[in-house]
Formats: sequence, C-alpha cells, structure tokens
Amino acid sequence: MCAWRRLHGSVRTLRGSLLRGCLSSTAATRRQPGRCGGLTLCQRLSTGGALRNDFFKDLEDQLAAMRKKAADALPGSSWMPFEINPNLPPETADIVIVGGGVVGWSIAYWLKQKERLPRGMRVLVVERDPSYSRASTVLSVGGIRQQFSLPENIYLSLASADFMRNINEHLSVMNEDPVDLQFNHSGYLFLASEEVAHIMEENYNTQRLAGAKVSLLSPQRVKENFPWINTEGVALASYGLENEGWFDPWSLLNAFRRKAISLGAIQCFGEVTDFKYTTHIRTTADEEQLETRRIKSVKVQMPNSMEYQPVECAIVVNAAGAYSGKLAEMLGIGRGPQDSIYGLPVPVEPRKRYVYVVHCPDGPGLDCPLLIDYSGVYFRREGLGGNYISGISPEEAEEPDTSNLEVDHQFFEDKVWPKLAHRVPAFEKLKVTSAWAGFYDYNTFDQNGIIGIHPLISNMYFATGFSGHGLQHSPAVGRAVAELILDGGFKTLNLKRMSFSRIFAQEPMLEQNIV
Amino acid sequence: MLKILIPSMFMLLTTWTSPFKQLWSTILMYSFLVATLSLTWLAMPTDTGWFYINNYMAYDPLSSPLLVLTCWLLPLMIIASQNHLAVEPENRQRTYISLLISLQIFLILAFSATEMIMFYVMFEATLIPTLIIITRWGNQMERLNAGTYFLFYTLAGSLPLLVALLIYHSSMGSLSYLSLTSLPLTCSNLYADKLWWMACLLAFLVKMPLYGVHLWLPKAHVEAPIAGSMVLAAVLLKLGGYGMMRIMIILDPLTKELSYPFIILALWGVIMTGSICLRQTDLKSLIAYSSVSHMGLVAAGILIQTPWGFTGALILMIAHGLTSSALFCLANTNYERTHSRTIILARGLQMVLPLMATWWFLASLANLALPPLPNLMGEIMIITSLFNWSFYTLILTGLGTLITASYSLYMFLLTQRGPIPHHLILLEPSHTREHLLLALHLLPLLLLIAKPELVWGWTA
Repeated sequence: MCAWRRLHGSVRTLRGSLLRGCLSSTAATRRQPGRCGGLTLCQRLSTGGALRNDFFKDLEDQLAAMRKKAADALPGSSWMPFEINPNLPPETADIVIVGGGVVGWSIAYWLKQKERLPRGMRVLVVERDPSYSRASTVLSVGGIRQQFSLPENIYLSLASADFMRNINEHLSVMNEDPVDLQFNHSGYLFLASEEVAHIMEENYNTQRLAGAKVSLLSPQRVKENFPWINTEGVALASYGLENEGWFDPWSLLNAFRRKAISLGAIQCFGEVTDFKYTTHIRTTADEEQLETRRIKSVKVQMPNSMEYQPVECAIVVNAAGAYSGKLAEMLGIGRGPQDSIYGLPVPVEPRKRYVYVVHCPDGPGLDCPLLIDYSGVYFRREGLGGNYISGISPEEAEEPDTSNLEVDHQFFEDKVWPKLAHRVPAFEKLKVTSAWAGFYDYNTFDQNGIIGIHPLISNMYFATGFSGHGLQHSPAVGRAVAELILDGGFKTLNLKRMSFSRIFAQEPMLEQNIV
Repeated sequence: MLKILIPSMFMLLTTWTSPFKQLWSTILMYSFLVATLSLTWLAMPTDTGWFYINNYMAYDPLSSPLLVLTCWLLPLMIIASQNHLAVEPENRQRTYISLLISLQIFLILAFSATEMIMFYVMFEATLIPTLIIITRWGNQMERLNAGTYFLFYTLAGSLPLLVALLIYHSSMGSLSYLSLTSLPLTCSNLYADKLWWMACLLAFLVKMPLYGVHLWLPKAHVEAPIAGSMVLAAVLLKLGGYGMMRIMIILDPLTKELSYPFIILALWGVIMTGSICLRQTDLKSLIAYSSVSHMGLVAAGILIQTPWGFTGALILMIAHGLTSSALFCLANTNYERTHSRTIILARGLQMVLPLMATWWFLASLANLALPPLPNLMGEIMIITSLFNWSFYTLILTGLGTLITASYSLYMFLLTQRGPIPHHLILLEPSHTREHLLLALHLLPLLLLIAKPELVWGWTA
C-alpha cells in the first residue's frame, strides 16, 4: 500500500514470525513421520529409484513417533485432550484495562511497578486488535511538545519526556535488548500571525513558569535559523529547545508491553462486549435519588469466535481511546433522559486525521523541527532521505467519515499543499509517496484528557479523550492513574482539574491555542 | 445430647421440605435453637467429668467447649452464606445447607465419640462435605487444586492412624477412652513402636496443621466459600487438636523423647508463618497463615503434656476458632463489595464503613492476643508451660508473639486506615446481617473473659 505502512507491517510480521518461528518448525517436522510410517509393501511401479523400502529408516521413524506420543501423554507435557484457547483471559482479575494502546499499557506498567509485593495484583489488558492496524497509537505522528497553555498539559509532557529520555532505567528487561525510541530532539516551532501573537506570548510565560525550555523568536531570527521558511505573515515564533521532538510510537508501546508482561501483567486479545453490574440507589443531601452502578464482571469476546469469558474484576480502566464513549454506553452512560446526568455521555468520539508522506529532495534537510503554522498545517522530517510527513486538522464542518481509515488524497491537494508550499517554498515541488489515516480520541467537550472516576460508575477509571496528545502524555498519565488507584489520590502531578467534574459542571478547560 | 443430635439430623429433613421462601429463616431459627440448647453442655454436674449418654457417646470438659463451638457455628455459617447463595437455583441452595448440617452432625459425633475408631470414622467423614463445599462453591479455578491438596494431605496422614489404632486394639483389646487410661503403657524401645507413635500423631499434626505439613491450609481456606472457610478455621482444625489430646494418653512414655522435634517444628512454624503473613497480598491468605501460626502454638502446648499446656491449648483453640472465623467473615464483607481479595485495592475503609471498622478493630485485637481476652489466656499458659520445659523456647514464643502483633496491626491499618481510593467511596453500606454475624462471633469471646472456667478443660 504505502511504503511507511509496509515498513511497519514487515517489521511487525518479522517480529511475529520470530516469536512463532520455533513453533511452526515443529509443526512442519511433526507431519513428517506420519507420512511414510508403517511397513506397507508399497511397490512402486516406476523403474527409477529404490524398489526396496528401507526397513530400518521406517522403523526409526515409527519409534520416534511412539516416543513422541509417550512423552506427550506423560505429565509435564503441555498436550491436553481438549483444546484450551491460550488467549482466553483468566476468570478473575483485580484490574481490567480495556484498551491495549500506549495509554493502557502505560497504566498496566505503572500499576505493576507500584504494587509493593510481586504478583500482588492481577492486571489484565484487553485489546481487540491483535495487529494494531487500526490503533491510534501506532498511526500517530509521534510528536511530543511542552508548548501548551494549560499547566497540566505542560507538566504531563515534561514528565513524559523525562521518562522517555531515561527510558532504559524504567523499561529495560534483563537479557533483552535495550529500548530505543529513536527520539529526535528536534523541537517544535510554532509560527504565529499578528492576531494571535499575544496568545503565544501568554503561553510562553505559562510554559516558562512551568519549567519548559521554550524560546520566543522574532521573524528575523527564524529566518536566520531556518532559512528555508518563508516568514511572510509571521509575527512571532515559539521554539522548544529541550524535551521536544518526535519518537517511534510502536517502540514505546512495545517497551511498555514487554516490561509490564515481565512484571506479571496479562495480555488478552478480545473485545469487551458487555458488563455485569449491580445498581445502587442512594439519596443525596438534596433529597434526590441517585442511581450508581458498580461493575462486577466484564465480558470479553474472543476475536472471530463465539467464545467469550466473563472476567470478574474489582476495577475497570477505560483506556479504549477513540471508542471510550461507546464502551461507556454499554453501562448506560449517555442513554438516560437528556437533561439529567444520566443523559450526559462520555464526550469522546473518533475523529479521522490524515497524514501524508511526501518526498522532497530540496526540502529543509536535517535541521528541521516539527513546524506548525498559524494556518493549521504542520510537517516534520521523517528519516534521513528527504521524506517529510505533513497534515492539517480539518474544519469542524468538514470532519471526514470515521467508519473507515481510507485516505482522501484530494484533501492534500486542496487543503494541505497550498499552505505548506506558502510556508516552505521548497515544498512547491514534492511528490506524495504514501498516506495513512488514524483516529484521534477526540474529546468533543474541550479537547483535553479526562482522568478519573465517573460519578455514576463506582469502579471505572477513565484515561481517555486526549485528542491527539495521548501518546506524548502516556507515561505520566499511566503514573497518575496508578496513583489514583493505589494511593487514593494524585501524588506527583495534581491532575484534579482533568476529572469528570468539569464536564458535569459544563466548565470546559480549553487550550488557548493559536491554531 | 440427644436433644441436640436428633434435631440436627431432622434439620436435614427440614432443609428439603420447607417452602423455599422460608428456607433460610427456618433453618436459621432452627439452628439457633439447637445452638442455644447446646449451651447446656457447658454445665457439668458430674464429678468424674465424664457425662455418658449411651455406650458410644459422651462428653467431658475437654469436648464440651468444642461441641458448643460446633453448634454455635452453624447459625453463623447460615447467616454468612445467605448473600452469595441467593443467586443459585433452589436445589443447590438446599444442597449447600444440607452439606453444612451434615458436617455439623459428623462433628458432633466426632467430638462426643467414646471410642477411638468411631472418632476416626467421623474424622474422615467430615472431609467429604468440606471437599464438596470447597470444590463446588469456591470462586476461583484454583479450587480444584485446593480440594486435592486438602483431601490427600489429610488422607495420607490418617491412613497410618487407622493402622495404628487397629494394632493397638488387637494388642490391648479396647480403644474406649475410659479404659485407655488404665491399660498398660507401651513402653518398649523397638523402632516399630516409634513408628507406631508417629502413625498415631501424624493425622492430627497434618490437621492442626503443623508447620511442615501445612501447605493444604492456605489453599483450602482461600478457595473455600465463606462458610467453608469459617468451619475449616473454627472447628476442623480443632479436630486435630482434640484428637491429639485424646490419643496422648496411650502414647506415654515414648512422647518424652519423640515429641521434641515436633515441638520445635511447631514453634518454628509460629515464627515462619507469622513472617509470611507480613508478605501476603491476599487478605484471606493472610488470615489462613495466621491460623497456622496460632495452631502451631496449640500443637506445642499439647505435645508438652502438662495440665497448663492442655488448658492453654484448649482455651486458645476455642478463642482462635471464634476470632479466625470472625476475621474470615470480615474479609468476606470486603470481597462481596469489591470482588477482589487483594489487600492494596481495599484500603482506608474506615472512612466508608466506620461500624465495620469497629469489628475489624476488635477482631484484630483478639488476633494479637490482647488481654483480657481468652486468646491471651491460652497463649500465656502455653508459653509458660513451654518455658518451664526449656528456657530457650521463650525466644521463639516471644518472637512469635511480636510477629503476631505486627501482622495483626498491619492487616488492620492497611485495610482500615489511610487514604481511601476513589473506587471505594460509593461502597455498599454494611448490612444488619453482617453486624449480627460479627456480634455473634465476638460476644461469646467477650463473655468468656468473665468465666473462662467453661473452657478450661479438666483442671476445674
């Protein structure tokens, strides 16, 4: 399909086949003795080849088959008379994390990291897409920045960047290769026009106060540092000096997954289709009836099969990304009368975003940050061969259809290329080599993450709705959710403002962006 | 005696014939009636100590406290099981109750047996209903493993006991308790006699359990449903202690030398299992290991063979039965709300369930043998009699007491104090049924402070 996806896909199948390599070879050799065992007097009528069956070779094959059968029947072998699906989750688990993306596995890792005794808790991660072909994590552009306007987002990014810089202190497993995220510290460069320059200055002050290393550049400085930029219309630019850039999301996901599994987390590929819950009706202080639900068990459906397993659990973490809203609907959130709190859905839905890979040999070259223009277009360097990836957020009215991951190439021609070429004249001559689409877990309320417990579901924690920032915040969000569950409250970062109360009070916590 | 045994047998009939809507209330009231009647056992009018009903059943100050405990426990088990069985179909509920009642009948017959063979048969018979309860109504997959361990550990230990009893009977002619004291002693230095001594005691040591053969207990306790855990902790372990006390009479004088390693093993077990408690992540497992710890002290007290040792062992058995059963009920209240037995997921509960925190407090204090509760009486008497035998046991028992106190407090502070996680704020409030259950556990314990002579045994 496209070079990028093929590269990802082939690396993935290579990894998969390496894991399954030993098993498949025994399957092949197992078939061999059955083929020509037995002392049948098969007289071949052809004159070529030996007419006599080799008695001793057949005997050897037969004896080998008998030995293998005996070894299988003895205790200690893994042969079972009835087949048990190895992918089936356990019947009980303490914490079930729905969603095996980077946020889900980060939470699993931190939960296992923070339990004080080994194997103290059973953590199960349920992911419905074994190949991760539609998961938002691996389809992400992979950038990380501290240039936000909300202090919570800045702290989350700072903590995550610190985690990723020292990733081998956290996520290395003994006797395995160290983690290499391919973290390019090239920084983000935001370009602001006259109208929005004041917002950029305010944000700059917030960021410096929070500890981010950001600098403000005048258009002349921008031109000096990055001569390939056309600074027409640019009044101010903000450049991240440290802890900003991009990295490989698949490596981060696999690092979290490998470490969590080595600490005892259990992985299951399946889809959560139903919940069993108990309902409690309480009277509030204002003499009103409040109906809350408590999840007792999660029904996990096996992929491509009618088999399912109800997993009895104490806590469920909703890290389902773009489908968090749909998962919450299974519990009845959002399906009550419109003007009550039961009618307020979890405001997370999938939004499709396109990413285009372009090849431009005369492009910006190696010294290229992730440039975001005030018109909304962005691009970054990909690799060392003159490839760049670029995109733009569509207008509210023109949101693409989210039922599939098909790419609209006309969108590039109409919306992305003109603005890109205006900002970087070298991009007037480029060739689109491939493109892909991915879903944002878009928070329709205020486009910022939701971390915490839902007031109506007593034991479901949410870590979703990051609207494109999930990957870069994932290590810190995982730690925050683990602190909520195990320590009873936030310990390192105070993310109380990111809870559900802002949604119920209808007070959005909006980013003051320049785009 | 018959006024308790016959109603218990007919309770089986009631289980199957009462209308389903009134099943639980009927059985509860019936078993409470039987339990109240059983309190008459504690009044001992005779001066020989023995109270014979017929040739085959009798009770004395040693068995009457255990009999009363058995009868007292049935209504408590019924109250505790009511909630989790409510979702089961009707016949299964009746079967469960029948299993509990048949267990009680076997236990009454075991404790009131006058002859060792009858005791042995009833001892084995109690395994069957317990096994069915654990493997059918347990909650996790591991219950099959737990049932296997439970069954085969006990059976492997008790088969030598059968052989030993038959040998003794064929050589001495009688196994009746009354005549055991007047039969000639088996004093010889043959190796076979030492093996016979071991065979007599092994079954009871496995049942107690002694530290080296205790592996079945954490598994069985953790995987059993609440009634199974209660009856296991409260009464079935005491079968081992009671059997040891009865059979000690015929084991003299071999016991003088041969009991030495077992006393040390028991004391070492007190410390080791206490330390294991500090590392447990599963609440029920913590309480199960604390049971092993207390029963190690009981085993040491019995093997010492002094009056104070026996008295201390008996008091500690009764007190531990009530305390351990209360702790399991408390752990069950947690489990029914959060569906998880992991300790770190159920913390800071005092904020949400303050009255339950009171019960937790009392039960934890009883577990760490706070004066003036009978737990302390039993422990002090055993420790004193061990000290009298050898000074150095004080190090082990003192260290054991310290570790017991630390893990009891650890369990209390971890579950009740501290910050409460957000998913526990809207926990279901405590039911009256749960408060009743715990009151009925701890009230006898508090009343025993006033009149411990009821459970002292023969040293009256």
